Amino acid sequence: MIAHLFKLIWNKKKTHSLLIVEIWASFMVLFGLATLIVVNVRNYREPLGFGYENVWAIGLKANQDTVGIADKLQRVQQRLRAYSEVESVSRMGSNVPFSSSQTNNGIEYKKRKILADFYATDENFAKTLDILVPLGHWYRNADSVGKYTPVVINQNAKEELFENENPMGKIIGDRFKVVGVIDNFKAKGEFMSNKPAVFELAKVDATWVDTMLIKVKPGTDAAFEAKVVKDIAAMVTGWSVEVDYLTDMRKNQHNLVLVPIIIALIVCSFLLINVALGLFGVLNLSIAKRRGEIGLRRALGATADGISIQFIGEIWVLATFALLIGLLFAAQFPLLNVFDVNAGTYVTAILIAMLIIYGIVTLCALFPSRQAANIQPATALHEE
Amino acid sequence: MIHLQNIEKVYRTSTIETLALNNINLDIKKGEFVSIMGPSGCGKSTLLNVMGLLDEPSKGTVQLDGQPVMKYTDKELAKLRNQKIGFIFQSFHLINDLTVLDNVEIPLLYRATNGKPRQEYAKEALAKVGLSNRMKHFPKQLSGGQKQRVAIARAIVGNPHIILADEPTGNLDSAMGNEIMTILQELNNEGATIVMVTHDEQMAKRTHRLIRLFDGTQVV
Ligand SMILES: Nc1ncnc2c1ncn2[C@@H]1O[C@H](COP(=O)(O)OP(=O)(O)O)[C@@H](O)[C@H]1O
Ligand SMILES: [Mg+2]
Repeated sequence: MIAHLFKLIWNKKKTHSLLIVEIWASFMVLFGLATLIVVNVRNYREPLGFGYENVWAIGLKANQDTVGIADKLQRVQQRLRAYSEVESVSRMGSNVPFSSSQTNNGIEYKKRKILADFYATDENFAKTLDILVPLGHWYRNADSVGKYTPVVINQNAKEELFENENPMGKIIGDRFKVVGVIDNFKAKGEFMSNKPAVFELAKVDATWVDTMLIKVKPGTDAAFEAKVVKDIAAMVTGWSVEVDYLTDMRKNQHNLVLVPIIIALIVCSFLLINVALGLFGVLNLSIAKRRGEIGLRRALGATADGISIQFIGEIWVLATFALLIGLLFAAQFPLLNVFDVNAGTYVTAILIAMLIIYGIVTLCALFPSRQAANIQPATALHEE
Repeated sequence: MIHLQNIEKVYRTSTIETLALNNINLDIKKGEFVSIMGPSGCGKSTLLNVMGLLDEPSKGTVQLDGQPVMKYTDKELAKLRNQKIGFIFQSFHLINDLTVLDNVEIPLLYRATNGKPRQEYAKEALAKVGLSNRMKHFPKQLSGGQKQRVAIARAIVGNPHIILADEPTGNLDSAMGNEIMTILQELNNEGATIVMVTHDEQMAKRTHRLIRLFDGTQVV
């Protein structure tokens, strides 16, 4: 029967070509959207690698002030540490977690060169962000001996640079010495892909390391925030002080990812509804046109359910034609590795898109095929 | 073979009620070739549809091979139509998007016949009606007589005992009509029971028995 339906649809391919193109286009759009969603879901399931609750980022700008900047930054850090509400303070560059700024550099070990996110932080960074260090330790100021700057790398960077080699104590990129390895570090939030990251011990006199990450005790409120801002302003006159909660910054980062996806989802739904309505109309029309055939098939031994199944089967065959063409296109993405997305993600996206297409065409065919089954064979044969 | 008792068929629409068949009692014996005649609209097609289990009578009983079929489910009726009855229609009812061979195979699709034997049976049936050289053609490429021969091949491919033909020569000129009639007679000689509706007295004369209908009532 399946071969029969294939023949029937194949011989009518000209009349069905528009439908096939529509289903194919829907599949391609769905495939794109599904890929986007699968990539993000996969990323989301990778642990973030650090804690952000009760962590505030205090951005300091010296503005016109040019005298003793590094020294002032150090004093601010000490002042912050003195508050009883503050558990830990870390000083780092402006690329704090969930911020929009980012720094990356190429780094090399034994001819293996990778691009990694770089963070200049101090010895309190791991403590402030609850980062565990499974291998080695988080750098201390005391690690900075000789010409090498101590660095901590994340697991991803370790795998790409060292593969199975032990990275501890190794020199990378001429001036960095690895003292520890942490797991993930996804600075831009859960939807970010897990990328290589390198943390270097910032020099105390670096004036550009001007952001304080403070971890406050749970329950610390905006009154304390106001107090901190006031105190700092009094210490470093003319500077601007800006406090952001990491929880809020994380939400902003998520929205940056989610909003385009939601818009794409809405646009895609409209497209699919359109295609579905078109399909529904075409099916209704074709069944009205094929009453004679339906009567004949009943006379030759088809049951009412058999007629219903035939019409659903036909639309599945049609969808399969369209999907086969779609597969030819979709398969190019993993084959040519167009984007930096792994093949498993594409395959999952293809399966999801196919499932949705089959689901939609089945829904569209359900009612017309029921109508077809209800046609009285004697009446239908009588009409022609 | 086919036994009809007190058959009545009423078509009801919102405005009118048509009594298409009125108290029909009929007995078609095995191996008979029966023709049905009567003016247009007198209920011939309705009668054939009732015999072919395509239409349910409003009253009365239908027996096929001694079995009353009134309580049968849709599935059981479909099986009986498929295995015991072959239909031929005035307007051929071929599926234009399928080749001649594929058209003839259709009844076998509704039983579990494998692809290979299915094709063989269909080819045999086409050979019987002399269309072996038209298997890959599409219905549009055939003459009326050829189309009706394809329809006959389709009706006999499943070896039914009964052939119901509703004006099989109605759309054909007399030469082609005669050709069809000859094939039907051959099938009858080979043992098929045939009931044929016709407008043509000459055709009717070539059958064993003639039933005349008038306004839904049997007059002879
Ligand atoms: N499905 C139907 N609904 C309503 N009336 C019908 C239907 N089928 C047939 N009839 C009516 O029943 C009568 C007999 O029809 P039919 O058996 O087709 O006549 P014939 O084949 O002898 O020309 C006609 O009056 C026709 O209009
Ligand atoms: Mg008629």
